[in-house]
Amino acid sequence: MDNAERLFNEIVKEYSERVYWHVRRFVNSHEDADDLVQEIFLKIWTALPSFRGEAQLFTWVYRIATNETLNWLRREKVRSALRFTSIDAEMERRIDSDPFFDGDAADRALSKAVAKLPEKQRQVFILRYYDEMPYEQMSEVLDTSVGALKASYHIAQEKVRSALGKDIFIGSD
Amino acid sequence: MSKRNDITTPEGYFENLQQRLSEIPARPVRVSTVHRLAPYAAIAASFLVAVMLGNAILRKTAPVSAEDDTWAYVSYLADALDPDGAAMMDLYDYGEEAEEEGLSADDIVNYLLADGISVEHLNYLSYEEGY
Repeated sequence: MDNAERLFNEIVKEYSERVYWHVRRFVNSHEDADDLVQEIFLKIWTALPSFRGEAQLFTWVYRIATNETLNWLRREKVRSALRFTSIDAEMERRIDSDPFFDGDAADRALSKAVAKLPEKQRQVFILRYYDEMPYEQMSEVLDTSVGALKASYHIAQEKVRSALGKDIFIGSD
Repeated sequence: MSKRNDITTPEGYFENLQQRLSEIPARPVRVSTVHRLAPYAAIAASFLVAVMLGNAILRKTAPVSAEDDTWAYVSYLADALDPDGAAMMDLYDYGEEAEEEGLSADDIVNYLLADGISVEHLNYLSYEEGY
């Protein structure tokens, strides 16, 4: 086993589960998350020779994961447009029919509200709320200033709160 | 309201996932559909641009009667620019190759996205077509 393979296996061991949960929040389906995680790790493997260590390994892995997930979402939007359906309706259908969704009605409503957020706000909300990533790390992953991320998260929170009803607590800024 | 407990995975999923992922380095390298289609797309695009430019120049310089048919110009230019039909044959070969390789609608979607088409553009086209 050469160095690249050893490093790749370390990345798999260290990050595969985190990447899976991150992706799963976006795609709202276990099967699609599984496929996408494999695509992401294939990309990581092919891009590994270009990893120069300037960025932290964690940041680099997450950056690939978020980019691939956004590409998947764009493909899904085009697929939905070709079927003359909306991506929002498709995501709702996935949440309702997911056999591995184990939450209550409030969790389901939250997932649906998050799925309706615009791309960038959804990305920020998932990284901050579900992945509990500090703003400084998010800033490196998304290449956006901390201030802009805080503003984006605040707007996303407001939209989610308004979709759920203002009495539901979904964390603070 | 829980955060992660609301979604689950099949039993033993992550052990299985790590096993599958660790086999990636042993897989043969595959060329993606987009990369396979890129040369054909480039040929088609340059051919189309050449025909459109030629058509525009001819329309500006030659006297055009009302009966003149644009397609006659296009055919004429296609013959002039591509006498042995090489570019058209490449496109034809691509069609056969696509059929043989069983390219799916997903491949076409990937190709359209890689080629820069946006959802807004698709919607616009649908609107233009009256869908």
